[in-house]
Amino acid sequence: MTFSTTWRRLPRTLRIVLTRLPMVVPQMLGVIFVTFMLVRLLPGDPALLMLGNMATPESIANLREQLGLDGSPWQQFVHYLGGVLQGDLGVSLFTSNPVAVDLMERAPATLELIFYAMILTILIAVAIAVLAVVRPGGIADYISRFYGMAAGAIPDFWVGLLLIFFLFSTLGIAAAPFGRIDPMIAAPPTVTGFYTFDAVIAGDFAALRSAAGRLLLPVLTLTIVNAGALMKMTKTTFAEIWRADFIRHQRASGLSQSRIVRNALRNSLPPIITLIGFLVGFLLGAAVLVETIFSWGGLGQYAVQAVTYSDYPALQGFVLVAAVFILVVYLIVDILYELADPRIQV
Amino acid sequence: MSQIRNFITFILSRPGAAFGLALLLLQVVAIVFAPLLATHAPTEADPLASLQPPSGAHWLGTDVSGMDIYSRIIYATRVNLLISIVAVAVAFVIGVPVGLVVGYYRGWASTFVMRVFDFIQSFPVFVLGMALVSVMGQEIWNVAIVLAVLFVPIFARLIRAEALSLRDRPFIAAARCSGATDGQIMFRHILPNALTPAIVQISISIGMAILLTAGLSFIGAGVRMPLPEWGLMVSVGSQQMILGVWWVALFPGLAIVFSVLSFALMADALRDYVDPRRERA
Repeated sequence: MTFSTTWRRLPRTLRIVLTRLPMVVPQMLGVIFVTFMLVRLLPGDPALLMLGNMATPESIANLREQLGLDGSPWQQFVHYLGGVLQGDLGVSLFTSNPVAVDLMERAPATLELIFYAMILTILIAVAIAVLAVVRPGGIADYISRFYGMAAGAIPDFWVGLLLIFFLFSTLGIAAAPFGRIDPMIAAPPTVTGFYTFDAVIAGDFAALRSAAGRLLLPVLTLTIVNAGALMKMTKTTFAEIWRADFIRHQRASGLSQSRIVRNALRNSLPPIITLIGFLVGFLLGAAVLVETIFSWGGLGQYAVQAVTYSDYPALQGFVLVAAVFILVVYLIVDILYELADPRIQV
Repeated sequence: MSQIRNFITFILSRPGAAFGLALLLLQVVAIVFAPLLATHAPTEADPLASLQPPSGAHWLGTDVSGMDIYSRIIYATRVNLLISIVAVAVAFVIGVPVGLVVGYYRGWASTFVMRVFDFIQSFPVFVLGMALVSVMGQEIWNVAIVLAVLFVPIFARLIRAEALSLRDRPFIAAARCSGATDGQIMFRHILPNALTPAIVQISISIGMAILLTAGLSFIGAGVRMPLPEWGLMVSVGSQQMILGVWWVALFPGLAIVFSVLSFALMADALRDYVDPRRERA
């Protein structure tokens, strides 16, 4: 039995995954190289810059050794690469914890935020786009035009502040913009790291209420800003499919409207999946700004703290984790794209 | 000249585009006549006039250090547009020739350059921008340089796509037969026909650059106080927003929205002007 026949006997999903996976390796190496170069862009001796002018020669020598700054650039890169592969991202100068530990602790907060923002963004964007295409000239069509134009121009941090002003300070409806849960309520025991999920698992409804309330404003902020772009592009894709011959044929055959919409959506799925991949990247960048406003305590706020205190190992670690996260998302998106489009040969 | 007149007639016949043009002109006026329009010095702090609501003396109120918000918004137009226009201009000047060469010559080097661009673009823009500016130092020119680096792949990619589709056309073969060198073919024959999408992209990118600059300054990875910059001004007002002091953060944010909107509307108008089929679709 030759390789090619064995290959063809594998399930399609497995073939897609196996062809995609090796492409990630050079990308990951590239990411590690970029984060390695990042600290070398610092003007002057990084160790001196990080420790400040009061540093003693011994402490500088110590930090230089810890950062692997001695030796040739090649040795330095190998030192850094070796560390990263073992999960060693250095030690934060601000928190004095290993950066990897700091990032792991904060990741669930950011992921929970992005998770809910994604769901809401997709629901709103796809709903408006479909309604606008199915009923041209209707309310949804006008909303989509106006919103599509305006949404790309609104800074997310400003929307967050306006929501705080109107919904918390003025009307008093929303929860306080300080963190993920009311300080008077104990966080649910960690299972997934998502407070809402953990609260449900623990059956703690006071915690669930509080966590959901705190999520409302930041999720709304991210959705308002990001749904516009997704809606616009979904509308273009969906409108194209909606004019296709097979849709006209289905209509002529007397299929119900909802059935036709479902079929058209199924066919516009691959490009929408790609867009959602990009959306995750945008949301991660936006989370940096939004977390700062809502004192969210996630990766974004950690990164801003790193910028404020010139904590370069922490910043470097954050960029690495963010880039790897996005690469993994793109990988999943590519795989889903090929799964959703049966015409693609593997 | 008649091209420009046609374009202006086209813009004026469409309400969205006309609104965009009006906003754009307003910014030009603010940039040129800032000293005449401003009522106060933009970086003059007045501790006695801290957090004044909008009034006859301070049209849009004052921030926590007593600086006049209206005057700072006017002067910030210079800072924000300068950073954005310089960044996009640099990205255009580097990205266009690179895209042209990479699109014209096929081979491993071209493939490699495109892979590098793919890779840069796979980073979340804001995260990479934040890290680069904070490593290079929070200076106005560093912000512009970083944005330029982030935008080069966008222009290169657009020009490359056009160059790829043009290079095998008969008129290029004709130019080659009449003895044109590769350089002449690329810059005299392909470039003029490949520029349209990149020109539309200039307007879109300036809007993106304004948003990114504001975002970077907001988290402290952009320009520093007391330089008037819209994102920085929103950040100054962010602590008071929760106390109900709305004017400090509201007005500079509106300036960002209208500025970005003007460039987005102009990009749309340009795109519809050069490709009327799009509009009907």
